[in-house]
Amino acid sequence: MMLAFTLNGRPCATEAPDHWTVLDLLRDGLGLMGTKYGCGEGVCGTCTVLADGRPIRACLVLAAHVRDRVLVTVEGLERDGRLDPLQIAFAERGAAQCGYCTPGIMLAAKALLLENPAPTEHEVREALSGNLCRCTGYTKIVEAVLAVGGRR
Amino acid sequence: MRLHPFRLLEPESMKDAIDALGGLDGEARLVAGGTALVAMIRLGLVKPDRLVSLHRVPALNRIAVEAGSLVLGAMATHADIERSRVVRDGWPLLAEAAHRVATPAIRASGTIGGNLAYAEAASDPAPALLCLDAEVRVAGPGRERVVPLARFFRGFYEAALEPGEIVTAVRIPPAPAGARGGYVKYTSRSAEDKPLVGVAALVALDAVGRCSEARIAIGGAAPTPIRAAGAERALRGEALTDAAVRAAAEATAGEVDPLSDLMGSASYRREMVRVWVRRLLITLRDGTK
Repeated sequence: MMLAFTLNGRPCATEAPDHWTVLDLLRDGLGLMGTKYGCGEGVCGTCTVLADGRPIRACLVLAAHVRDRVLVTVEGLERDGRLDPLQIAFAERGAAQCGYCTPGIMLAAKALLLENPAPTEHEVREALSGNLCRCTGYTKIVEAVLAVGGRR
Repeated sequence: MRLHPFRLLEPESMKDAIDALGGLDGEARLVAGGTALVAMIRLGLVKPDRLVSLHRVPALNRIAVEAGSLVLGAMATHADIERSRVVRDGWPLLAEAAHRVATPAIRASGTIGGNLAYAEAASDPAPALLCLDAEVRVAGPGRERVVPLARFFRGFYEAALEPGEIVTAVRIPPAPAGARGGYVKYTSRSAEDKPLVGVAALVALDAVGRCSEARIAIGGAAPTPIRAAGAERALRGEALTDAAVRAAAEATAGEVDPLSDLMGSASYRREMVRVWVRRLLITLRDGTK
Protein backbone atom coordinates (compact mmCIF):
# COMPACT_ATOMS: atom_id res chain seq x y z
CA MET A 1 0.00 0.00 0.00
CA MET A 2 1.02 3.60 -0.60
CA LEU A 3 1.59 5.87 2.40
CA ALA A 4 2.20 9.60 2.64
CA PHE A 5 2.90 11.41 5.87
CA THR A 6 5.23 13.98 7.37
CA LEU A 7 8.41 12.56 8.84
CA ASN A 8 10.74 14.72 10.90
CA GLY A 9 9.54 17.89 9.22
CA ARG A 10 9.64 16.62 5.64
CA PRO A 11 6.99 15.03 3.41
CA CYS A 12 7.48 11.31 3.00
CA ALA A 13 5.80 8.99 0.48
CA THR A 14 6.57 5.29 0.50
CA GLU A 15 5.25 1.80 -0.11
CA ALA A 16 4.70 -0.62 2.75
CA PRO A 17 3.21 -4.12 3.07
CA ASP A 18 -0.22 -4.21 4.74
CA HIS A 19 1.03 -5.99 7.86
CA TRP A 20 3.88 -3.62 8.67
CA THR A 21 3.85 -1.61 11.85
CA VAL A 22 5.25 1.90 12.12
CA LEU A 23 8.41 0.34 13.57
CA ASP A 24 8.86 -1.91 10.51
CA LEU A 25 8.31 1.10 8.28
CA LEU A 26 10.85 3.29 10.08
CA ARG A 27 13.63 0.75 10.51
CA ASP A 28 13.28 -1.53 7.51
CA GLY A 29 11.43 0.66 5.04
CA LEU A 30 13.18 3.95 5.69
CA GLY A 31 16.44 2.92 7.36
CA LEU A 32 15.91 5.03 10.46
CA MET A 33 17.52 2.90 13.14
CA GLY A 34 17.11 5.31 16.06
CA THR A 35 13.75 3.82 17.00
CA LYS A 36 14.37 0.53 18.79
CA TYR A 37 12.59 -2.80 18.91
CA GLY A 38 12.15 -3.90 22.51
CA CYS A 39 9.30 -6.11 23.66
CA GLY A 40 7.10 -5.83 20.56
CA GLU A 41 4.00 -5.76 22.76
CA GLY A 42 3.76 -2.10 23.74
CA VAL A 43 5.07 -2.60 27.24
CA CYS A 44 8.70 -1.41 27.30
CA GLY A 45 8.38 1.92 25.46
CA THR A 46 11.67 1.92 23.60
CA CYS A 47 9.90 2.20 20.21
CA THR A 48 8.01 5.35 21.28
CA VAL A 49 7.72 8.01 18.56
CA LEU A 50 5.46 11.05 18.21
CA ALA A 51 2.37 11.13 16.00
CA ASP A 52 0.74 14.56 15.87
CA GLY A 53 2.64 15.45 19.05
CA ARG A 54 1.45 12.48 21.07
CA PRO A 55 3.54 9.45 21.96
CA ILE A 56 2.69 6.19 20.22
CA ARG A 57 4.13 2.69 20.32
CA ALA A 58 5.67 2.14 16.89
CA CYS A 59 5.55 -1.64 17.47
CA LEU A 60 1.75 -1.65 17.94
CA VAL A 61 0.53 0.98 15.50
CA LEU A 62 -0.03 -0.22 11.95
CA ALA A 63 1.91 1.70 9.32
CA ALA A 64 -1.37 2.51 7.56
CA HIS A 65 -2.57 4.35 10.63
CA VAL A 66 0.04 7.12 10.35
CA ARG A 67 -1.10 8.07 6.85
CA ASP A 68 -1.42 11.88 6.65
CA ARG A 69 -0.08 12.32 10.19
CA VAL A 70 3.01 14.13 11.47
CA LEU A 71 5.66 11.74 12.80
CA VAL A 72 8.75 12.63 14.79
CA THR A 73 11.46 10.10 15.61
CA VAL A 74 14.67 10.60 17.57
CA GLU A 75 16.38 11.53 14.30
CA GLY A 76 14.01 14.49 14.04
CA LEU A 77 14.72 15.99 17.45
CA GLU A 78 17.79 17.72 16.06
CA ARG A 79 17.04 20.79 13.93
CA ASP A 80 19.53 22.21 11.42
CA GLY A 81 22.44 20.55 13.18
CA ARG A 82 21.38 21.84 16.59
CA LEU A 83 20.46 19.34 19.26
CA ASP A 84 17.11 19.59 21.01
CA PRO A 85 17.42 20.95 24.58
CA LEU A 86 16.36 17.49 25.79
CA GLN A 87 19.28 15.86 23.98
CA ILE A 88 21.68 18.40 25.49
CA ALA A 89 20.27 17.85 28.99
CA PHE A 90 20.51 14.04 28.65
CA ALA A 91 24.12 14.32 27.49
CA GLU A 92 25.16 16.85 30.12
CA ARG A 93 23.66 14.86 32.96
CA GLY A 94 24.66 11.41 31.80
CA ALA A 95 21.01 10.36 31.67
CA ALA A 96 21.82 7.27 29.61
CA GLN A 97 23.84 4.17 30.23
CA CYS A 98 23.38 1.45 27.61
CA GLY A 99 21.18 3.88 25.67
CA TYR A 100 18.65 1.42 24.29
CA CYS A 101 15.68 3.07 26.01
CA THR A 102 16.93 6.62 25.40
CA PRO A 103 15.22 7.44 22.07
CA GLY A 104 11.84 6.34 23.38
CA ILE A 105 12.32 8.15 26.65
CA MET A 106 13.31 11.39 24.94
CA LEU A 107 10.22 11.27 22.72
CA ALA A 108 7.92 10.48 25.63
CA ALA A 109 9.47 13.46 27.43
CA LYS A 110 9.14 15.62 24.31
CA ALA A 111 5.42 14.80 24.14
CA LEU A 112 5.03 15.88 27.75
CA LEU A 113 6.91 19.15 27.24
CA LEU A 114 4.92 20.00 24.09
CA GLU A 115 1.71 19.79 26.11
CA ASN A 116 3.02 20.92 29.47
CA PRO A 117 6.18 23.04 29.17
CA ALA A 118 6.78 23.24 32.94
CA PRO A 119 5.89 19.86 34.43
CA THR A 120 6.34 18.85 38.04
CA GLU A 121 8.51 15.87 38.94
CA HIS A 122 5.34 13.84 39.46
CA GLU A 123 4.13 14.75 35.98
CA VAL A 124 7.49 13.79 34.48
CA ARG A 125 7.44 10.43 36.22
CA GLU A 126 3.86 9.82 35.11
CA ALA A 127 4.69 10.74 31.50
CA LEU A 128 7.65 8.33 31.52
CA SER A 129 5.77 5.55 33.31
CA GLY A 130 5.55 3.53 30.10
CA ASN A 131 9.26 3.65 29.33
CA LEU A 132 11.43 1.09 31.03
CA CYS A 133 15.11 1.68 31.75
CA ARG A 134 16.98 -1.22 33.29
CA CYS A 135 20.26 0.68 33.83
CA THR A 136 19.84 4.13 35.31
CA GLY A 137 17.24 3.92 38.05
CA TYR A 138 15.59 6.93 36.32
CA THR A 139 16.99 9.61 38.63
CA LYS A 140 19.17 11.33 36.03
CA ILE A 141 16.52 10.90 33.34
CA VAL A 142 13.94 12.71 35.45
CA GLU A 143 16.50 15.39 36.37
CA ALA A 144 17.33 15.93 32.70
CA VAL A 145 13.68 16.42 31.73
CA LEU A 146 13.13 18.76 34.67
CA ALA A 147 16.25 20.72 33.69
CA VAL A 148 14.66 21.50 30.31
CA GLY A 149 11.25 22.62 31.39
CA GLY A 150 10.51 21.65 34.90
CA ARG A 151 9.92 23.43 38.13
CA ARG A 152 11.16 21.99 41.37
CA MET B 1 10.18 -9.26 14.20
CA ARG B 2 7.32 -9.09 11.72
CA LEU B 3 3.67 -9.70 12.33
CA HIS B 4 2.04 -12.73 10.75
CA PRO B 5 0.98 -11.32 7.34
CA PHE B 6 -2.57 -10.15 6.77
CA ARG B 7 -4.44 -8.08 4.24
CA LEU B 8 -5.56 -4.68 5.52
CA LEU B 9 -8.89 -3.29 4.41
CA GLU B 10 -9.65 0.37 5.01
CA PRO B 11 -13.34 0.99 4.37
CA GLU B 12 -14.58 4.57 4.29
CA SER B 13 -18.09 3.98 5.62
CA MET B 14 -19.63 1.89 8.40
CA LYS B 15 -21.64 -0.06 5.82
CA ASP B 16 -18.47 -0.97 3.92
CA ALA B 17 -16.78 -1.91 7.20
CA ILE B 18 -19.63 -4.28 8.07
CA ASP B 19 -19.48 -5.80 4.57
CA ALA B 20 -15.68 -6.17 4.77
CA LEU B 21 -15.92 -7.89 8.15
CA GLY B 22 -18.56 -10.28 6.84
CA GLY B 23 -16.60 -11.67 3.87
CA LEU B 24 -16.24 -15.44 3.77
CA ASP B 25 -12.56 -15.81 2.86
CA GLY B 26 -10.74 -16.66 6.09
CA GLU B 27 -10.71 -14.96 9.46
CA ALA B 28 -11.28 -11.21 9.65
CA ARG B 29 -10.65 -9.00 12.67
CA LEU B 30 -11.62 -5.43 13.29
CA VAL B 31 -8.77 -3.11 14.24
CA ALA B 32 -9.11 0.26 15.94
CA GLY B 33 -6.04 1.50 17.86
CA GLY B 34 -4.37 -1.90 17.67
CA THR B 35 -3.05 -1.80 21.24
CA ALA B 36 -4.65 -5.15 22.07
CA LEU B 37 -5.01 -6.80 18.66
CA VAL B 38 -1.52 -6.13 17.32
CA ALA B 39 0.01 -7.43 20.56
CA MET B 40 -2.15 -10.57 20.25
CA ILE B 41 -1.04 -11.09 16.64
CA ARG B 42 2.57 -10.59 17.71
CA LEU B 43 2.14 -13.22 20.42
CA GLY B 44 0.56 -15.63 17.94
CA LEU B 45 -2.73 -15.73 19.86
CA VAL B 46 -4.68 -14.83 16.72
CA LYS B 47 -3.71 -15.17 13.06
CA PRO B 48 -6.28 -13.22 11.06
CA ASP B 49 -6.19 -13.28 7.26
CA ARG B 50 -7.75 -9.83 7.05
CA LEU B 51 -7.82 -6.78 9.27
CA VAL B 52 -10.62 -4.28 8.79
CA SER B 53 -9.50 -0.86 9.98
CA LEU B 54 -11.99 1.74 11.20
CA HIS B 55 -9.59 4.67 10.80
CA ARG B 56 -11.11 5.93 7.58
CA VAL B 57 -14.73 5.78 8.65
CA PRO B 58 -15.59 9.45 9.19
CA ALA B 59 -16.43 11.06 12.54
CA LEU B 60 -15.95 7.89 14.60
CA ASN B 61 -13.71 9.72 17.06
CA ARG B 62 -16.21 12.43 17.94
CA ILE B 63 -16.93 13.44 21.53
CA ALA B 64 -20.19 15.35 21.72
CA VAL B 65 -23.20 16.08 23.89
CA GLU B 66 -26.49 15.03 22.31
CA ALA B 67 -29.74 15.79 24.15
CA GLY B 68 -27.88 16.02 27.45
CA SER B 69 -26.04 12.73 27.01
CA LEU B 70 -22.36 12.32 26.27
CA VAL B 71 -21.71 10.44 23.04
CA LEU B 72 -18.27 9.00 22.44
CA GLY B 73 -17.53 7.70 18.96
CA ALA B 74 -16.00 4.23 19.14
CA MET B 75 -12.65 5.56 17.87
CA ALA B 76 -12.31 8.23 20.56
CA THR B 77 -9.01 7.47 22.28
CA HIS B 78 -8.45 7.39 26.03
CA ALA B 79 -6.16 10.42 25.50
CA ASP B 80 -8.99 12.29 23.77
CA ILE B 81 -11.42 11.41 26.56
CA GLU B 82 -9.13 12.31 29.49
CA ARG B 83 -8.42 15.73 27.89
CA SER B 84 -11.94 16.57 26.68
CA ARG B 85 -13.34 19.66 28.43
CA VAL B 86 -16.88 18.34 27.93
CA VAL B 87 -16.03 15.03 29.61
CA ARG B 88 -14.06 16.62 32.45
CA ASP B 89 -16.85 19.06 33.24
CA GLY B 90 -19.87 16.79 32.89
CA TRP B 91 -18.55 13.26 33.45
CA PRO B 92 -15.37 13.66 35.55
CA LEU B 93 -15.53 10.04 36.73
CA LEU B 94 -15.00 8.93 33.12
CA ALA B 95 -12.13 11.38 32.57
CA GLU B 96 -10.48 10.07 35.74
CA ALA B 97 -10.76 6.44 34.60
CA ALA B 98 -9.52 7.26 31.08
CA HIS B 99 -6.46 8.88 32.65
CA ARG B 100 -5.64 5.66 34.49
CA VAL B 101 -5.47 3.45 31.41
CA ALA B 102 -1.95 2.05 30.96
CA THR B 103 0.57 4.66 29.77
CA PRO B 104 0.40 7.90 27.74
CA ALA B 105 1.40 6.13 24.52
CA ILE B 106 -1.23 3.43 24.93
CA ARG B 107 -3.88 6.05 25.78
CA ALA B 108 -3.00 7.96 22.60
CA SER B 109 -3.82 4.92 20.42
CA GLY B 110 -6.27 2.80 22.41
CA THR B 111 -9.94 3.54 21.80
CA ILE B 112 -13.03 3.32 23.96
CA GLY B 113 -14.81 1.11 21.43
CA GLY B 114 -11.87 -1.28 21.27
CA ASN B 115 -11.56 -1.37 25.04
CA LEU B 116 -15.21 -2.38 25.49
CA ALA B 117 -15.35 -4.81 22.55
CA TYR B 118 -12.22 -6.57 23.87
CA ALA B 119 -14.20 -7.18 27.10
CA GLU B 120 -11.11 -7.04 29.27
CA ALA B 121 -12.13 -7.95 32.82
CA ALA B 122 -9.58 -5.47 34.19
CA SER B 123 -10.63 -2.55 31.97
CA ASP B 124 -10.23 0.86 33.62
CA PRO B 125 -13.02 2.71 31.77
CA ALA B 126 -15.57 -0.11 32.09
CA PRO B 127 -16.33 0.26 35.84
CA ALA B 128 -16.69 4.03 35.43
CA LEU B 129 -19.02 3.56 32.47
CA LEU B 130 -21.02 0.92 34.37
CA CYS B 131 -21.52 3.42 37.21
CA LEU B 132 -22.63 6.00 34.66
CA ASP B 133 -25.25 3.65 33.15
CA ALA B 134 -23.61 3.81 29.73
CA GLU B 135 -25.03 2.03 26.71
CA VAL B 136 -23.24 0.72 23.66
CA ARG B 137 -24.38 1.40 20.11
CA VAL B 138 -23.74 -1.48 17.76
CA ALA B 139 -24.12 -1.75 13.98
CA GLY B 140 -24.19 -5.02 12.09
CA PRO B 141 -25.45 -6.60 8.90
CA GLY B 142 -28.86 -5.06 8.29
CA ARG B 143 -29.47 -3.66 11.76
CA GLU B 144 -28.38 -1.32 14.51
CA ARG B 145 -29.06 -1.85 18.18
CA VAL B 146 -28.32 -0.41 21.60
CA VAL B 147 -27.04 -2.60 24.44
CA PRO B 148 -26.84 -1.41 28.05
CA LEU B 149 -23.21 -1.81 29.10
CA ALA B 150 -24.32 -3.95 32.04
CA ARG B 151 -25.52 -6.54 29.50
CA PHE B 152 -22.68 -6.00 27.02
CA PHE B 153 -20.08 -8.07 28.87
CA ARG B 154 -21.01 -11.70 28.38
CA GLY B 155 -17.99 -13.52 29.78
CA PHE B 156 -14.22 -13.64 30.01
CA TYR B 157 -13.00 -11.54 27.03
CA GLU B 158 -16.42 -12.01 25.46
CA ALA B 159 -18.67 -9.11 24.48
CA ALA B 160 -22.29 -9.42 23.38
CA LEU B 161 -21.39 -8.85 19.74
CA GLU B 162 -22.73 -11.09 17.00
CA PRO B 163 -20.52 -11.97 14.01
CA GLY B 164 -20.10 -8.90 11.81
CA GLU B 165 -21.21 -6.43 14.47
CA ILE B 166 -19.20 -3.30 15.23
CA VAL B 167 -19.34 -0.97 18.24
CA THR B 168 -20.05 2.48 16.79
CA ALA B 169 -20.48 4.65 19.91
CA VAL B 170 -21.01 4.78 23.64
CA ARG B 171 -23.81 6.92 25.07
CA ILE B 172 -23.61 8.11 28.66
CA PRO B 173 -26.62 9.80 30.25
CA PRO B 174 -26.15 12.77 32.57
CA ALA B 175 -24.99 11.79 36.04
CA PRO B 176 -27.62 12.23 38.79
CA ALA B 177 -27.77 15.79 40.15
CA GLY B 178 -25.22 16.38 42.89
CA ALA B 179 -23.54 13.03 42.38
CA ARG B 180 -19.86 12.59 43.14
CA GLY B 181 -17.86 9.82 41.63
CA GLY B 182 -14.39 8.39 41.78
CA TYR B 183 -12.23 5.64 40.35
CA VAL B 184 -9.44 3.94 42.24
CA LYS B 185 -7.07 1.48 40.64
CA TYR B 186 -4.97 -0.86 42.68
CA THR B 187 -2.04 -2.51 40.91
CA SER B 188 0.16 -5.14 42.48
CA ARG B 189 3.20 -4.93 40.20
CA SER B 190 3.68 -1.47 38.69
CA ALA B 191 1.68 1.74 38.41
CA GLU B 192 0.91 1.44 34.70
CA ASP B 193 -0.22 -2.19 34.90
CA LYS B 194 -3.76 -3.42 34.51
CA PRO B 195 -5.64 -3.11 37.79
CA LEU B 196 -5.54 -6.03 40.18
CA VAL B 197 -8.85 -4.48 41.15
CA GLY B 198 -10.42 -1.27 39.92
CA VAL B 199 -13.29 0.32 41.82
CA ALA B 200 -15.63 3.00 40.51
CA ALA B 201 -18.35 4.50 42.65
CA LEU B 202 -20.88 7.24 42.32
CA VAL B 203 -23.00 8.54 45.20
CA ALA B 204 -25.53 11.31 45.56
CA LEU B 205 -26.52 12.47 49.03
CA ASP B 206 -29.83 14.08 49.96
CA ALA B 207 -30.25 17.10 52.26
CA VAL B 208 -29.79 14.99 55.40
CA GLY B 209 -26.82 13.06 54.07
CA ARG B 210 -28.56 9.86 52.99
CA CYS B 211 -27.67 8.16 49.71
CA SER B 212 -30.32 9.04 47.14
CA GLU B 213 -28.15 7.15 44.68
CA ALA B 214 -25.31 4.69 45.17
CA ARG B 215 -23.53 2.85 42.41
CA ILE B 216 -20.45 0.64 42.71
CA ALA B 217 -18.67 -1.17 39.89
CA ILE B 218 -15.64 -3.41 39.98
CA GLY B 219 -13.05 -4.36 37.37
CA GLY B 220 -10.52 -7.17 37.57
CA ALA B 221 -12.32 -9.24 40.16
CA ALA B 222 -14.79 -11.25 38.10
CA PRO B 223 -14.83 -12.67 34.54
CA THR B 224 -16.22 -9.30 33.43
CA PRO B 225 -16.50 -5.84 34.97
CA ILE B 226 -19.60 -5.88 37.19
CA ARG B 227 -21.94 -3.66 39.19
CA ALA B 228 -22.26 -4.61 42.87
CA ALA B 229 -26.04 -4.51 42.90
CA GLY B 230 -26.47 -5.92 46.39
CA ALA B 231 -24.10 -3.43 47.97
CA GLU B 232 -25.83 -0.60 46.11
CA ARG B 233 -29.26 -1.65 47.39
CA ALA B 234 -27.94 -1.78 50.93
CA LEU B 235 -26.56 1.75 50.67
CA ARG B 236 -29.57 3.50 49.11
CA GLY B 237 -31.44 5.49 51.70
CA GLU B 238 -28.65 5.08 54.22
CA ALA B 239 -26.19 7.67 55.48
CA LEU B 240 -22.55 6.91 54.66
CA THR B 241 -21.61 6.08 58.23
CA ASP B 242 -18.45 4.09 58.85
CA ALA B 243 -20.63 1.07 59.57
CA ALA B 244 -22.65 1.46 56.35
CA VAL B 245 -19.47 1.87 54.33
CA ARG B 246 -17.94 -1.23 55.91
CA ALA B 247 -21.11 -3.19 55.19
CA ALA B 248 -21.14 -2.06 51.56
CA ALA B 249 -17.47 -3.03 51.14
CA GLU B 250 -18.21 -6.42 52.71
CA ALA B 251 -21.23 -6.92 50.45
CA THR B 252 -19.20 -6.02 47.34
CA ALA B 253 -16.47 -8.48 48.31
CA GLY B 254 -19.20 -11.11 48.45
CA GLU B 255 -20.48 -10.25 44.98
CA VAL B 256 -17.19 -10.50 43.07
CA ASP B 257 -15.90 -13.74 41.59
CA PRO B 258 -12.14 -13.30 41.32
CA LEU B 259 -9.56 -15.49 39.63
CA SER B 260 -6.00 -16.20 40.73
CA ASP B 261 -3.22 -15.22 38.36
CA LEU B 262 0.31 -13.79 38.36
CA MET B 263 -0.97 -10.45 39.66
CA GLY B 264 -2.55 -11.91 42.77
CA SER B 265 -4.64 -14.69 44.23
CA ALA B 266 -8.41 -14.78 44.25
CA SER B 267 -8.55 -14.29 48.01
CA TYR B 268 -6.17 -11.31 47.82
CA ARG B 269 -8.30 -9.75 45.08
CA ARG B 270 -11.43 -10.19 47.18
CA GLU B 271 -9.69 -8.57 50.14
CA MET B 272 -8.50 -5.68 47.97
CA VAL B 273 -12.08 -5.17 46.73
CA ARG B 274 -13.17 -4.82 50.34
CA VAL B 275 -10.34 -2.37 51.12
CA TRP B 276 -10.70 -0.17 48.05
CA VAL B 277 -14.51 0.04 48.09
CA ARG B 278 -14.28 1.18 51.71
CA ARG B 279 -11.57 3.74 51.01
CA LEU B 280 -13.30 5.13 47.94
CA LEU B 281 -16.67 5.52 49.67
CA ILE B 282 -15.04 7.29 52.60
CA THR B 283 -13.20 9.59 50.22
CA LEU B 284 -16.44 10.41 48.40
CA ARG B 285 -18.25 10.97 51.73
CA ASP B 286 -15.59 13.23 53.16
CA GLY B 287 -15.06 15.12 49.92
CA THR B 288 -11.31 14.74 50.20
CA LYS B 289 -11.02 13.94 46.54
